[in-house]
Amino acid sequence: MSEIAVEVRGLVKSYEGGRIRALRGADLKVARGEFVALMGPSGCGKSTLLHVIAALDRPDAGHVHVMGVDTDAVRDLSAYRARTVGLVFQLHNLLPALTASENVQVPMFETGTGRRERRRRADDLLALVGLADRTHNRPGELSGGERQRVAIARALANDPPVLLADEPTGSLDSKAGGRVMDLIERLRTERGLTVLLVTHDPGVAARADRTVHMLDGRVLAPAAVPNVPLALPVMPS
Amino acid sequence: MTFGALILKNLLRHRVRTLLTAVGIAIGIMTVIALGAVATGARQAAGGMLQSGGSDLLVAQKGASDLTFSSMPTRQAARLDRRGDVAWAHPVLLDVSKVGSNPYFVAFGMRLADLAEAPPPLVAGRVPRRADQVLLGDRGARDLGVGVGGTVEIQRTRFRVAGLFHVGTTWQDGGAYVPLVSLQRAARKPGVVTGAYVRVAAGRDAGAVGEAIEAADPQLVAIADVDDMAEVDQGIEAIDGLNLAISLLAVGIGAIGVMNTMVMSVFERTREIGILRAVGWRGRRVVRMIVGESIAVCLIAFVVGLGLGALATEAVTLVPAIGAVLEPAYTVAVMVRALVVALVVALVGAAYPAIRAARLLPMEALRHE
Repeated sequence: MSEIAVEVRGLVKSYEGGRIRALRGADLKVARGEFVALMGPSGCGKSTLLHVIAALDRPDAGHVHVMGVDTDAVRDLSAYRARTVGLVFQLHNLLPALTASENVQVPMFETGTGRRERRRRADDLLALVGLADRTHNRPGELSGGERQRVAIARALANDPPVLLADEPTGSLDSKAGGRVMDLIERLRTERGLTVLLVTHDPGVAARADRTVHMLDGRVLAPAAVPNVPLALPVMPS
Repeated sequence: MTFGALILKNLLRHRVRTLLTAVGIAIGIMTVIALGAVATGARQAAGGMLQSGGSDLLVAQKGASDLTFSSMPTRQAARLDRRGDVAWAHPVLLDVSKVGSNPYFVAFGMRLADLAEAPPPLVAGRVPRRADQVLLGDRGARDLGVGVGGTVEIQRTRFRVAGLFHVGTTWQDGGAYVPLVSLQRAARKPGVVTGAYVRVAAGRDAGAVGEAIEAADPQLVAIADVDDMAEVDQGIEAIDGLNLAISLLAVGIGAIGVMNTMVMSVFERTREIGILRAVGWRGRRVVRMIVGESIAVCLIAFVVGLGLGALATEAVTLVPAIGAVLEPAYTVAVMVRALVVALVVALVGAAYPAIRAARLLPMEALRHE
């Protein structure tokens, strides 16, 4: 069996005093280097699961282990967010006052990277995502696809082994979305990234190694690594 | 991009708000600078009155609410001269009256022999030798437009200017040394003086001699420097108290202004703070960013306030009656005090918004619209 990068067991998360039960015992395993698409109807808990894995939210119950880090056991998860996982949102969530290069540098403040190194790495990452000539542009001066590519570069700022993407193409047209997915696939291959990507788009999901379906706060497919057969077939693109 | 550059970029996003906040605090700093410079100038001027002709102590009546209210017989002041630990004691009558446009012209009534023995540094003419002559301070001479040989009217008595002196303190240089008997007559205080300038005997410690004088006569107080002035003058304490009160007021008003700005700024940027936390920023770094922004605003306010404070003080001293008695002193202590006020404003004003920002859960902040 391949080495596990992400393991989620019995994850429970509710909001508004338990009125909204977003996760009801979700289980998931993602192998190192695997690209998994997470699909399901709106409100099924996909994004909540991703956010709990990204340590943006604490679960009510259950366990999350990512690259050997038990997120329950860590009081301040800032270092985990800075170094272990890279996060891409549906809306790029870039800081509007900063240039593309500066946005990519922001996560590096927390890892003690020197000023020159921050700038060099940001420019390299922007070149990697095809935006070498847009380093000095602010988000308002970039197209939706370009902003999302800057967000991907920012997610990779501290070279994390895991990329978590929450509907990264959700706000883009098909052409721009296709480019973003090309980029994610390429980066995954080049950098050996483990990718967990939430999407509504079967075409996007078809690019993953496997697709995991969620319904009512639970993962329908059995937690599985690539050599375990899927409970549901991959949705056609 | 440095962390400092990030802080400045955040401030420049709302230039008008940043500027208005800085101006609000700058007005507080201006008050601290202006009052501090005036208070320090007044202290220096008051300190200048404590010494004459190389004296070490001023012996006066204990408990007087103002130095000029101190009173003792001339004989009692002169008797200090007989002490073994005293080189000389020169009785002095301090009288404040309006002369020319100066409402606080200080006349130092001293015996002619004492003036001759220990005169202030002369810049023109000579020490008075007759009862109708005075030694005028160069600042007073300039204000009154008279020189050696000219006349000056003090307490409705006309005196001829025998010489000019310069000590370097406002109230002395703005006033005059007048023969004691003449001033006692003119001020209707015959046989009475304010106290005595005392020079201790060679090898004696001024503090110890002062204590010995006080022990010998509990009605007396020996003042060596301006910090002891409260023993005979509540005015300095009142100025110091007012200065402290204004500083506290400036801190209070400034901190509320900064807090208002920073709370608004943090509230507006809740989502951005969520992004920063999501990409790995610790709460501590968010606190540093908010506090850094607050300190930057207050440092801008400090620089603007320094300029405004100096301008305001100089403008006030353009009024002849004030300019004659007031020379603001922009000492390092005044600047440091204003800087401390600015930094306290920054820290107090940023504390609540910074803690609030740091406590935000990343997801909670990201959901904020």
